[in-house]
Amino acid sequence: MVQPVVEIKQLQKHFGKFQALKDITLTVNTGEVFGFIGPNGAGKSTTIRTLLGILKKSGGTATIFGQDVWRDAVAIHKRLAYVPGDVYLWPNLSGGEVIDLFLKLNDQKHSSRTDELIKAFELDVSKKCHTYSKGNRQKVALIAAFSTAADLYIFDEPTSGLDPLMEEIFQQQVLALKAAGKSVLLSSHILSEVEHMCDRIGIIRDGRIIETGTLDDMRQLSRTQVTVTAVKSVKQLADNPAVHGFKQTGDKATFAVDSEALGAVIAALAPLEVKTLQSTPPTLEDLFMRYYNQQEATADEQH
Amino acid sequence: MSNTKYAKTGFLLRIYLRRDWLKIVFWLIGVVGLMAGAAGKFDTLYGSSKAMNSIITTLRTPAMVSLLGPFTASKPYTVANVYAAEMMVFMGLFVAMMNIYFAIHATRTDEDSGVTELVRARAVGRNASLTAAIFELILINLIAGVLEALGLQVSGMSGSNAAGNWLFGFGLAAFGLMFGAFSLLAAQLASSSRGATMLSYLILGVLFVARMGTDVQNTDLTWWTIYGWIEKLDIYGQNIWWPVALMVILIVLIGGLAVRLGATRDVGAGLLPQRAGRRQASVWLRGPLSLIACLERTSTIVWLVALFILGATYGSIFGTAGDLMKTNPTMAKLIGTTAVTQANRTIVLAFANKLVIIFVVLATIPGLITLFRLNRDERNGYFEQLHAKAVSRGQLYFSIAAFGLVSAIVALLLGILGMYAAGAASMGTEALTVGRFMRAFWGYMPALIVTFGIAALLAGLLPKFQNVAWVIPVYGLISLYLGPLLDTPKWATRISPYGWVNRVPIDSVAWGTASWMTVLGLGLIVLGYLAYTHRDLTTN
Ligand SMILES: Nc1ncnc2c1ncn2[C@@H]1O[C@H](COP(=O)(O)OP(=O)(O)OP(=O)(O)O)[C@@H](O)[C@H]1O
Ligand SMILES: [Mg+2]
Repeated sequence: MVQPVVEIKQLQKHFGKFQALKDITLTVNTGEVFGFIGPNGAGKSTTIRTLLGILKKSGGTATIFGQDVWRDAVAIHKRLAYVPGDVYLWPNLSGGEVIDLFLKLNDQKHSSRTDELIKAFELDVSKKCHTYSKGNRQKVALIAAFSTAADLYIFDEPTSGLDPLMEEIFQQQVLALKAAGKSVLLSSHILSEVEHMCDRIGIIRDGRIIETGTLDDMRQLSRTQVTVTAVKSVKQLADNPAVHGFKQTGDKATFAVDSEALGAVIAALAPLEVKTLQSTPPTLEDLFMRYYNQQEATADEQH
Repeated sequence: MSNTKYAKTGFLLRIYLRRDWLKIVFWLIGVVGLMAGAAGKFDTLYGSSKAMNSIITTLRTPAMVSLLGPFTASKPYTVANVYAAEMMVFMGLFVAMMNIYFAIHATRTDEDSGVTELVRARAVGRNASLTAAIFELILINLIAGVLEALGLQVSGMSGSNAAGNWLFGFGLAAFGLMFGAFSLLAAQLASSSRGATMLSYLILGVLFVARMGTDVQNTDLTWWTIYGWIEKLDIYGQNIWWPVALMVILIVLIGGLAVRLGATRDVGAGLLPQRAGRRQASVWLRGPLSLIACLERTSTIVWLVALFILGATYGSIFGTAGDLMKTNPTMAKLIGTTAVTQANRTIVLAFANKLVIIFVVLATIPGLITLFRLNRDERNGYFEQLHAKAVSRGQLYFSIAAFGLVSAIVALLLGILGMYAAGAASMGTEALTVGRFMRAFWGYMPALIVTFGIAALLAGLLPKFQNVAWVIPVYGLISLYLGPLLDTPKWATRISPYGWVNRVPIDSVAWGTASWMTVLGLGLIVLGYLAYTHRDLTTN
C-alpha cells in the first residue's frame, strides 16, 4: 500500500493581485521519485517554496508526512533536505563550513558519507564561498543535502550549472536514494534527467497541474512516431484522424499516431505490403511539447 | 508547539556573531573610544570656571540647543554636566546608526542574497533568524553600554559618579536598541535591504528633526519625539532611570510587532505593496547615464528633499537663535540697536557655518552610495551584460561618477537654500541675502569634490576597500562638529578635506583654495578612471 509523503490539494498562492498558483493538486508517494516539469514561470519554484513554509499559501492544503507545511515546518524540515537552483552562500565562510553548518541546523553531523560525497563531487571545501563558481556553489548545497539523513529530498533545478560528469554523479545519488526507499521531488528542465529517474511526473502550466501519472500512462495519451516503407501507396493514411504530421518521400512515409489508435493504424497498414516498419515511443520531450502546445491552442481559442 | 518556531535560535546567533565579530569590534572601538576619549579630555578643557562659564553660555544658545540638545543642569555646574550636555544627543545618533546597520545586516541582507531560503529549509524555526538577530543586537548594545560605562569610570572626569556613568552606558544601550527595533520592523515592511535602510534612516531623521524643533521651542514637547527621551535621563544631575524603562517597553512592543509580522510574511518579500513595472523602457532610458539615473531616482529625490527640509528646519530657528535680546539681554542693552543687528547676523552666520558642515557631510552620502555602485553592481553581476554591449568602461565610470557628484552637489545646494529661505522668513527685516549664504556653497563644494575624488580613486584602484572611504565624511563630521568643543589640535581637523575650508559664510570665499581643491578633486576622479580601466573587473 503506497503512503503519500507529500499531499497537495487545490493549493493557491497570490502575490498581491497576481495569482501564481491557481490549482495545484498532486501527491508524492513513499519511495518514489516524482518529476515536476513545466515551462518557465509556471509555478514550480513557488509550489516548492510553499511546501517549505518559505511562502505562505493563500488557499488549499499542503501536507508533508501528514503535517501542515506552514504550522509544522520545523518538524517536517528535520526529515527533509532541499537544494534550490541558485545557491548563494555567506561569502566569508568556506564551503566545508557551510556544509557542516547546514547539517548542524538539522541536528546532524559531518559523517563519512559527507566525505564520500565531497570526494564524488570533487569539491575543494577549503575555499571561501565568494571564490566558488556557480557549479561549485551548487555542489555545496548538493553535498549538504545528500549527506543529510532525510526521508524526503526536494530539488529545484538542482543541476543548473553542473557539468555532464557531475550531472551523472547527481543521477547516481538520486537513484541510490530511491533504492534506499527515500522519496524525491525533482523539478527540472532537463527532461532526459526526469525521464531517466522519475517514477511519476506532474506537468504544471500557468499555475495549474495539467497532468500527472507515470511516463507509460502519459505515453498512452500521446503519439507514437512511425516510419514505414511499403510497396503500395500509404497516402490514404494521411486522412486518418489519428495520424498527424504525415510526410512522404518516395516510398517512405513518416507520421505520428495517437497511441490509443496505434493498433487500428497498424491494421490499416497490413494490406499495403509493408517492407519496413519502425515505431518510436514518444519521448518526454514530445509529451511536453504536446501538452505545452495544447494549452497554447486552448489559450488562443479563448482570445 | 510554539517553541519550535524558535528552534535553532541559539545556533544561528553563534553563526551571526562569528560572521560579524570584526564589524562589531570596529563599531565598538569607534563608539567606546569616542566616549572615553572625550571624557578623558574634558577636565583639561573646562577645568577653569572661566572656560566652564563660557561653554555653558554657548550651550544655552538656541543654535547649540538645536544641535546638541538643551543644557538642563542646575548649579553648581560640573565638568560632567557639560560632558553630558555635549555628548548625549550626539552619541545617541551614533549608536542609532550602529543599530540600523546591524539590524538590516542581520535580517534583510541574507534574505536578499537567498541564504535565508536555504536556512529556512532546514529544521530552523520560522522566527529563529529574526530572534537571533534581536539577541545579536541586544548583545552588541549591552557590551557597548558596559564598555562605555567602564570607560567613563576609568576616565574619572570631575563631577561624574558611578550612577551617572552606568546610566549613560545603559541609557545609550537602550536608546540604540530602540532604533534597532525600528529597523527590524522596517525590515519586515520593505522588500529589500536598501529599502529597509532608507526607511530606518527616514524614521531616525524625522525623530531627530522633531527633537530639534521641540528643544528650541518647548522642551516639554520633547517627550513626544522619542529621540528626546535620552535627554530626559538628566545624567550627572538627577540620574533618572525611568526613561530607560520607557525605551525598554517600546523595544518590546516594536520588536514583538516585528516578530509577529516576520512570522506571517513570505521570505524575500516585504509587507508594503509593490508597484508594477513599466511594460517598455521610457524613451530616455537609453544609455548608462540614464540607467543610473533611473536606478537611483527614488533615493536621490528622497535625499534632495530631506536636505532641503533639514535646511529649512534649521533656518526656521534663525529668528530665535539670532535674537540677542532674548538670548543675552544685558549685552544687547549695552551695545545699542545697530550693533545688535550686526551681532545677531554674526551669530546666525556662525551657526550657519556649523550647519553647512552637517549638510556637506550628509550630501556626500548619496554621492558615495551612487559611486560605489561601480563595484557593488559589478559584484552582484548586474553590469556583466552591460560590459558585453557597446558601452565602454569610461562611459560607465563617468556616468556613475557624474550622477553621484552632481546629486551630491545639488543636495548641498538645496540644504543651503532651504536654510536661507526659512531663515529669511524667520528673521524678517534682519534677513541676510542669498549671496551671503551662497558663500557656504562655493566654499564647501570643492571639499565635497575632493572627498568624492578620493572615494572615486579608491573605487577605481582598490574595489574591495571602497567602503573605507566612508571614514572621510564620518571623521569630518566628528572633527568639525565636536573638534572645537574638544579643543582638538588644528592638524586633526585638517585631515579631512572639509577641514581645509575657511569659515564661510562668515568669511568670504577663499577662491584660491576653492580652485585648487576643485582641480584636485576632478583630477582624483580622472585618476580613478585610469585605475578602473587598467584592472580586472570585480566578479563574484
Ligand atoms: N515574489 C513574487 N512576487 C510576484 N510574483 C512572483 C513572485 N515569485 C514568483 N512570482 C511569479 O509567479 C510565477 C511562478 O514563478 P515560479 O518561480 O514558481 O516559476 P517556475 O515554474 O519555477 O519557473 P522557472 O522554470 O523559470 O524556474 C511567475 O509568473 C513569477 O513571475
Ligand atoms: Mg523555478
